[in-house]
Amino acid sequence: MIPIMAWRNIWRSMTRSLVVMGAIAVGIWAALSLTGFATGMVKSYVNNAVQNIVSHIQVHQPEFLDENEVKYNIPDLMAVEQAVRAEPGVRAVSVRSVANGMISSSQGARGVAIKGVEPEEEARVNALNENIVDGEYFSGDSRNPILVSDELAQKLNVKVRSKVVLNFQDRGGSITAAAFRIVGIFDTGNNPFDLSHVFVRRSDLNHLLIPAADSTQSADALAHEIAIMVDDIRNVDTIASSLRAELPGLKVQTYRQISPDLQLYEGQIKNISLIYLTVIMLALVFGIINTMLMAVLERIKELGMLMAIGMNKLKVFLMIVLESVMLGLVAMPVGLILGYITIDYVGENGIDMSMYAEGLENFGMSSIIYFELDPVVYGQVAVGVFLTAVLASIYPALKAIRLKPVEALRTI
Amino acid sequence: MKVITTKGVVKIYNPDKIPVKALNGVDLEITEGEFTAIVGPSGSGKTTLLNVIGGLDRPDEGDVEVGGHDIDAMSDNQLIDFRKEHIGFVFQAYNLIPVLTARENVEFVMLLQNRPKKERRERAEELLRAVGLEDKMDKRPSELSGGQQQRVAVARALAPKPDFILADEPTANLDSKSTANLLDIMARLNEEEKITFVFSTHDQRVIDRARRVVTLVDGKVATDEVREGKV
Ligand SMILES: Nc1ncnc2c1ncn2[C@@H]1O[C@H](COP(=O)(O)OP(=O)(O)OP(=O)(O)O)[C@@H](O)[C@H]1O
Ligand SMILES: [Mg+2]
Repeated sequence: MIPIMAWRNIWRSMTRSLVVMGAIAVGIWAALSLTGFATGMVKSYVNNAVQNIVSHIQVHQPEFLDENEVKYNIPDLMAVEQAVRAEPGVRAVSVRSVANGMISSSQGARGVAIKGVEPEEEARVNALNENIVDGEYFSGDSRNPILVSDELAQKLNVKVRSKVVLNFQDRGGSITAAAFRIVGIFDTGNNPFDLSHVFVRRSDLNHLLIPAADSTQSADALAHEIAIMVDDIRNVDTIASSLRAELPGLKVQTYRQISPDLQLYEGQIKNISLIYLTVIMLALVFGIINTMLMAVLERIKELGMLMAIGMNKLKVFLMIVLESVMLGLVAMPVGLILGYITIDYVGENGIDMSMYAEGLENFGMSSIIYFELDPVVYGQVAVGVFLTAVLASIYPALKAIRLKPVEALRTI
Repeated sequence: MKVITTKGVVKIYNPDKIPVKALNGVDLEITEGEFTAIVGPSGSGKTTLLNVIGGLDRPDEGDVEVGGHDIDAMSDNQLIDFRKEHIGFVFQAYNLIPVLTARENVEFVMLLQNRPKKERRERAEELLRAVGLEDKMDKRPSELSGGQQQRVAVARALAPKPDFILADEPTANLDSKSTANLLDIMARLNEEEKITFVFSTHDQRVIDRARRVVTLVDGKVATDEVREGKV
């Protein structure tokens, strides 16, 4: 009967209960949506970075990572490449040559990393071909084609069909220079990356990297970087460790190791949801305390009577706690469902943030954010609201059981 | 035969500020089966006395024994349990739990006693019939008149089979017809079921029907008169 009493008691002040339930539902909805938004934003950043820049896994010769010199190419490339392609779960592989050098036009010069790629392979690993904003992605027949970003093109005051000169050291240590023609302009959305990378054909770069006197290195077998995309990002660690076992002399890194900021952001998702949850729960605590306190204070006589006729303090305490919990439990499904609908809808259709955050793309995020939420968060929120309701009722419940029946009955 | 005994009971309110001696040495004995009115001018200590013998309040001096239990020796929670088992209360107002129906109100104390559901239900219906409310069992207090509410309160007080029923001005808010009706029911229960009623009142019509009239003046028993004859 105590649950029945508690249940009926919460409907005695219908408006007040509905208001606090509304607040709880909105709080839950906000906690879920904000977490979904933050998760979507981080995922968008990570996905952009993975797709446009780092890929899932990269393989290098360890010294190359430290020294960044072209002589540290991947040894025994054919075998390595074969092993990588044979690895289960690997979706696409791009073999790259990399040189650090300088790009210059008549208007200026900038230091860049020159990536020599096989255009078709690269397109499977990288969204580069989709990020072309002007010209095209390595058109068939032109000699020494190069892709530069729109930011870099602006700095160098060049456009499609302009000529640029690349300077870099070859494997022998001497500086080479070669003219390239811009065939396409790309824009990945990540300005720092775009300003510091250009793409050429690997065969073109390799010819320049190997000095004429060097007959030991074949152009086909020269590469510094293997970029890998896997089928399912969740398997990235297992695939990487299996590759590590297979390629003992090489450094195999996942996107988290290559770009520690990605790992950092991904790791923050959990904290973000906990922070939102805590803030909203704190706000709710005061709302519930206030409501329950009013419910106790306006019922002093009745509570006195209940204790007078033999309802003990534990039962009175439980009744008050139960009333608070019921407020929470009625509001909870409403909030959870609203949150679910919001996340499901925005997860599907996305929300265009370009109006609110113009610079989003400059930080490597897309302007359309798709909400996303780990289902665990629904559980966390549910538990959080339950605990909040219990906690918030303790003070009012203590107040109720501290009443002395005689005095309570005497109050007007 | 259970007895309520008070010996030299003193109750002082506001001992620190302006002390009020609500009870100033009350010696009284109430035996099971009585139909007793506590009367006296306003402020004479009637409510205080009922609270003290019902275990709702503690005396500052003197002893109160109810059915062999020493009230003073009990903790607050023990007192709550004691009241639940041995004392039925009917207050002037706010007797009933507003969110429960008449039947549920009567069942409530039995539920606190962990009586089985069937017994609760049957006894609640029996008691409501006894107070003439068989057709109002599923009504909430707000749907009942003041007199009907007090009758439910009497049924509720009877439900746990207490040794004594203490009623503080049970008719104060009732019109004369409801007052007569309530007293008829109480008198009949006293006659037929040997239920003990101790009630305070200002109302001469109520006083006239008591079999024993204890008059308090300034927190002391001034007169204690047992009347023979019919109620
Ligand atoms: N909580 C309290 N604090 C201070 N004084 C009190 C308190 N309760 C009662 N008193 C005083 O104690 C005295 C006895 O009060 P009590 O309520 O027992 O009288 P009563 O006979 O029931 O009066 P009434 O007929 O008006 O109900 C009164 O002087 C009253 O003012
Ligand atoms: Mg009184």
